[in-house]
Parts: sequence; structure tokens; C-alpha cells
Amino acid sequence: MSEHSLRYIDNGSFFTRIDALSKLLWVVLVILVTFQLTDNSARLVMLGLLFFIMIFLARIPFKSVWQAMPIILIMGTLLFFVHLFSTPSTSYINIAGFTLGQQGFDKGLQYFLRITIMVLASFILIWTTDIRDLMVGLVSIGMPYRYAFTVFMALRFLPVVQQEVDAVKAAHAIRGRAARSPLQHRFRLWQRYMFTVIVNGLRKAENTALAIESRGFGAYPDRTYTKQFHWTKTGIALILFFILFAIALLLWERSLI
Amino acid sequence: MTTEIKSIGEPLVRFEQVTYKHYDKPAPALSDVNLTVQRGSFTLLVGPSGSGKSTLCMLLNGIIPQILGGKLTGTVTVEGQDISKVPVQELAKSTGMLFQDPEWMFATLKVEDEIAFGPENLRRDPMDILESVEQSLNYVGMQHLRNNLVWALSGGQTQKLGLASVIAMQTPLIVLDEPTANLDPATTHSVHQLILRLRDEGKTVILVTKDLDEFMAEADDIILLAEGRVVAQGSPRDVITQHGNKMLELGVWLPEPTEIGLRLKASGQFNKSVPITVAEAVKDFADLKFHASKPNEKLVTDSETLIHAENIEFAYGNKFKALRSVSFDIKQGEIVAIVGQNGAGKSTLSKLLVGLLKPTAGEMTMFGQSAKRWKVQDLANQIALVFQNPEHQFLCDTVREELEYSLLAQGIDDQAVVNQRVEDMLARLDITDTADSHPFSLSAGAKRRLGVATMLIGGSAKLLIVDEPTYGQDRRLTERLMLLINNLRREGITILMITHDMRLVDTHIDRAIVMANGEKIFDGSPDILFQSPELVERASLRTTTLRRLVDGLRGLGITVPDGLNTVDDFIGAMQ
Repeated sequence: MSEHSLRYIDNGSFFTRIDALSKLLWVVLVILVTFQLTDNSARLVMLGLLFFIMIFLARIPFKSVWQAMPIILIMGTLLFFVHLFSTPSTSYINIAGFTLGQQGFDKGLQYFLRITIMVLASFILIWTTDIRDLMVGLVSIGMPYRYAFTVFMALRFLPVVQQEVDAVKAAHAIRGRAARSPLQHRFRLWQRYMFTVIVNGLRKAENTALAIESRGFGAYPDRTYTKQFHWTKTGIALILFFILFAIALLLWERSLI
Repeated sequence: MTTEIKSIGEPLVRFEQVTYKHYDKPAPALSDVNLTVQRGSFTLLVGPSGSGKSTLCMLLNGIIPQILGGKLTGTVTVEGQDISKVPVQELAKSTGMLFQDPEWMFATLKVEDEIAFGPENLRRDPMDILESVEQSLNYVGMQHLRNNLVWALSGGQTQKLGLASVIAMQTPLIVLDEPTANLDPATTHSVHQLILRLRDEGKTVILVTKDLDEFMAEADDIILLAEGRVVAQGSPRDVITQHGNKMLELGVWLPEPTEIGLRLKASGQFNKSVPITVAEAVKDFADLKFHASKPNEKLVTDSETLIHAENIEFAYGNKFKALRSVSFDIKQGEIVAIVGQNGAGKSTLSKLLVGLLKPTAGEMTMFGQSAKRWKVQDLANQIALVFQNPEHQFLCDTVREELEYSLLAQGIDDQAVVNQRVEDMLARLDITDTADSHPFSLSAGAKRRLGVATMLIGGSAKLLIVDEPTYGQDRRLTERLMLLINNLRREGITILMITHDMRLVDTHIDRAIVMANGEKIFDGSPDILFQSPELVERASLRTTTLRRLVDGLRGLGITVPDGLNTVDDFIGAMQ
């Protein structure tokens, strides 16, 4: 059994049982609302909601969350520092002995929270959705199946790429370190991970493309499905609840200003 | 020379003067191939690595030339359709193909969705598809796994799902390209039984395999390829009789009883037809006489203990215990195999030995120091691991740089010494002419040898671990790799192999550690292991055809000495 973090977790949770399109629509709404928010307190509330959904409604194991954290935090932290140092500030704050620009800090935090919310919402979708249901759902609302399948394949191969990186990392670790400087060594390894993962990834992607074409994929403009897409009541409830939550959050935020 | 083939029905497949050159390759992969495959027949496609077997398979569903390009001359037809003109997706109705690693063929997440994927593409009625899914699941015995995620399947289940997906397409032709290359012997046997059922049900089956012993008596045809040319096509008996020695010379694995028959016939000691099954060999060799028992010549080691493990355990997360209370010693100069079913804990054990994982319980001492204290990179100077996919290990842009890297990693940076050692190693492994090539561009055999070289060039390694040495290698390449490994052992390096290849275990190994469900169930000589049917079954192993031959002869009351582990041993023991 593989133990990779970014893949569908079929645990029968409340969120897993919601139809794929409602969850996709929910992610889109989360992103749209996040861009409407202007205050970091409101963004923190939104982040809190996502954690609530992740832990209680989706029952994502802590290990999967922990393994995915670096992806979320690296992007958020990078954006935080870019804005911290590139935003001109007129007032200053002191945090743990460091003097930082107030406006830069706020903007950095704003981007950190935005990216974290967007990535986390997408991860919840990946963790709780059989991507095939998403593909069938997209086709049911008129998307040509070849395009819908492209989305599907991209998500299907995320864990595979993770697996490949792990295998290459393990193999490289036992080769020892040739460079004198640890940084130089690390750089070389990263360069090589990228090369090996890309070469093997392309080779495997080519094999997959050959395999699915030889199973008739793309033979006709449409195809049949043994499982049909159905909107679920819980999905509609999720959307309605989220719209109400978003309105309340926006009103609360405006009242703070 | 081409022998007459048995006619079963109309030709389903026809190759006429087919020559094919891959894009950007100077030499053709197939040259002037003419052959037919009859409807309802069972054909074995054999040949050494790089002989064009996979290329020939990919012509059968149009992947070549329609997707992979290249230059094709001549005509290939399947059910009368020209594969260069009828689209690949349309040919999917005629040819079902199972690739070597079916995991890459999976397009969905769940078992039953995967089986339905192909028929859905062909716009079959959903109710019919569901019926096909049901039948295919029954066929491979995976009804209970229908809702499982595809990545949670074992190696054997993955292959069976691949087969079920092909069966559900309901194509008249089924092409199987080494479907059991990485499976344990018992699972391989069960997949072989499924393949034979397909033949019984009237499918036309073309199978690429190196495990010929279960199919020799069942196949209608063997097609022997070498350097892209058809060397022979005909019934197994005819091809073996006329081309058996050529097959051995080319590096094709033949069942041991067949090999014995060929060699005895060549030396004039045997004048019957060459046996192609164990049962035939037992009958044909019944009048052979053997010398008395010979002493076991294998090394008995009583040397320094390199690794001592006592009741070690390892668990992935909280749920799955991959190792349970495993104890063993590895002594200097031994050659040891770790064998057992897929998922028995073999790979976990090898990762513990190189320090990539640490035991979650128990005590392991490596080179006199607790495993917990070793760092992977320090341990790398003592233990060398050659991965099943050596590409994962490569870090540089040329073969020469790969070897230099390993020396630098061990602190050897005197340029004169580095150059000398690299040249010596290149010459020793016969890869000097590829010194400036990219490691990824080497042949499968050369990649394996480079994998060994990168790990040993520093000269300080005391233990070499090789993961599946015969995977993807023909007989000649395997023998070359084993020659290298045996030479290393003579130089004092301890060898540990993880393998499913029982012939390799019988031929080269002093001691086998047998794993089943995370536990060590046996630790001792392969001779003792293979005498216990219960152990063999529990660990999903299978005895070699040579052992089955010896057992058969003994069953007839013939005295056959112990320790006949190779064809050479068997012939050498004859009076």
C-alpha cells in the first residue's frame, strides 16, 4: 500500500459522498470569495472553516495533511517574504526582535493566507473526490470528454510523480555526497531529481497515452458511461451553506473596517 | 529456416515483408518479417533482449507506426485490417494488449471502473459493459476487490486487473508482453493458468515470456526472433528440435529438462526427441544412470558477522507491519537470497539494510555499530544497493562522470587515481565504448552493470545488495551480471540478492532467507528449502523444472544424487 499524500482517500466521509461537481463549484466559490476578502481576520476565519471541513467532514488523516503541508507552506511562505520585502511601509512593528514594515507584513500575510486557502481547498477536493466522478460530471454539463479527461489524468498522476520523486531520492541518498559544500550537493540532487522525474515521467506518460489509445480512447466523439453523474442534496446544501457563510463573513468583515 | 506451422483456422495476423525502423534509430528493429498467426492459436514470441519482440507486439495494435512514428515497409494485417491505415482506436476492437507494467495502462482509480474504461470508449451499451465487467472480474477472481483503488493492489492483482481489462474488450486477439516479469513464482503460475484458459476459450493469444516451461506443451507456435528477424516459426517441438541450440546461443531461457536434452543430444548421449516438458523428460531420462552423491561444494562460511538483526520490526504508519520479529546474521563472503511472495517484506528489509529505514523495534547491528547510529550516506561506503531500476541511481550526464561521482563521494579526489580507477572499472564491465554516453541511453544490461559499478568503484563496500538481478534481462545478460557478482564475491564482497528467480537461487545461492507476510519463515540452504512443499507453498515459491525432473526420476526409483542444482551438475553426475 502506498503512502502518498495527494490522492483520493475513499473513507466514506460526509464530504466524500458529496457529488464531484458541487465540490468543484465549492472550490471555485472559496477562491472567488477569498479574493473579495480584504481583512486578514476574515481570511483566518475562512482558513478555519477549511480546517473544520478537512478534519470533521472529510476526515482526512493527519498524516496526509502533514505530508501535504510543505507544498502549501513553501508557496505561502515564499509569497509572504516577497511581499514583506517589496511593499513600501510607512509604519513599523517589532516581532521577536525584528523590525518589520507594517504594510509589508500585512500584505505578506494576505498573500500567504490567500494561497494557503486556495491550495487547501483544492487539496480537499483531491482527497475527497474520485476524479472519475468529476470527469463524468464535467462531461454531463457539456465539456467534451477529451478535455475532461485531461483534468482527470493530471490529477491521477500527481501521486505517481510523488512516488517517482521518493524512489529517486532514496536511490540518490545511498550514492553519498560528492560535492564539498552541502548546498552545492543539494542543488545537484534537485537538478537530478528534476531530470530523472521528468524523463521517467514523460516515458510513463507516453506509455499511458499508448495504453489508453490502444483501449479505444478517442475512437468516437462521445463515449458511454457505466456510472452516471447525479447532483446530490448534500452538494446543494454545501453550496447554499457556503454562500450564506460567505455573505455573513463579508458583512462581518465590512463591519470591522 | 522456417518450419511448417499447424493450421488451426484462418490467419488472424499476417506480416508480409515487414521492415520497421524506429524514429531516429540507424538500424531497423524488425527486418523482412514474414509470418502468420492463425485464428484461435496460442503463440509464444521469444528472443533475446532487444530482438524486436515488443516492437512486433506494438505493430499488432497500430501503436507502431501510427503513434510512435518510424518507417514501416511491408504490410501488417489483423483481421484483414491494415494496421497502418485503420486508426489505433478502431484496431482496439481487434487487438487487446497487456503491457509489461499494467499500472501504466490504468486510466481510472477503481478496479471496476478500470475494466469498464475500454468498452466505454467503444460506446458499448452500459448494461452490456456491466455484464462484461462482472464476467472479467469472475475470470480473474477479483470480485471482492471491485471497489478497491488500483494503487492499493498487489503486484499479482495489478497484473490480473490488466488482464481483466483486456478481456472485457472482447477482442479476438490478445497480446501479452511479459505479463509476469515481476511477480513471485506462485502468482506467475496463477496468471499463467488464466492465460491458458483464454486459449481454451478460443482466443488468439500471442505471449512474450521467458517462462517457457508451463507453455511448451500448450502452445501451437513459437516465433523465435533475433536481431529483428524471424529465425524460426513452428510448433514448440519442431522449433526446439531444429533451433534449440541456437536459442541457447542467443540467450533464450529454455526449461532445464529441454536444455539437458539438447546438450545430451549434441554430445551423442541421447537419441530420443528433445523433451519439452518435465513429464516427457522424466520418461525419456528414465534409463540414465548417475554417480553416487557428490559432496556439496558450496562454501560454508564461518567468518565475521557483518549484520546482526534480532527481532527487528518495521511498521509503515500505525497500521501495516511490514516486518515482524525478524532475526538473522549476514556473514562476510556469503551469497544470500531473500525470497518470498510480492509484499512479503523483502524490499522493506533491503531498505533497512541500507539505512533508508530504521527498525521500529528490535536491534540491528551493522559493522559492529547499532543501525540507529548509521547515517545513510556513511553506510553507503559499506553497503552498495543496486536498484531494480538503475536509472533512479544515476546523477550525472555521462557514464564516466557517474563513476567519478562515486569516487568523490568517498573522498577520493586525486585526479590521477580517479582516472585510473574509472578506466579500470569501464574496462572490467565492458562499457569503455560508452564512457561518454548518457547513462539513460545505455542498454538494459549495461545500465545494470553501471549500477553495480557506481556502487563498488570506491572499493570500500563490503556488502552488495542487488534487487531482482534477472528483471528485464535475457539469459546471456543475466549470466554476465552473475559472473561479475561471483567475481566480486571471490574478492570478499558479501552478496545479498532479492529475487523471484528460483533458477538463480538454485544455481548461485548458498543460503535463502524466506519471507512471508513480514515474517522470516526459513533461513538455510535452498536444497533444504525446496524439499519442503509446505514452505514452498507458504512463501509463494515454485521449485525449478530441474528439481521437478529430479523428483520425477526419484519417483521412478532411480537414484539421483543430491545437490544437482544446475544443468551442468545434472550432466556432470551422469555415468
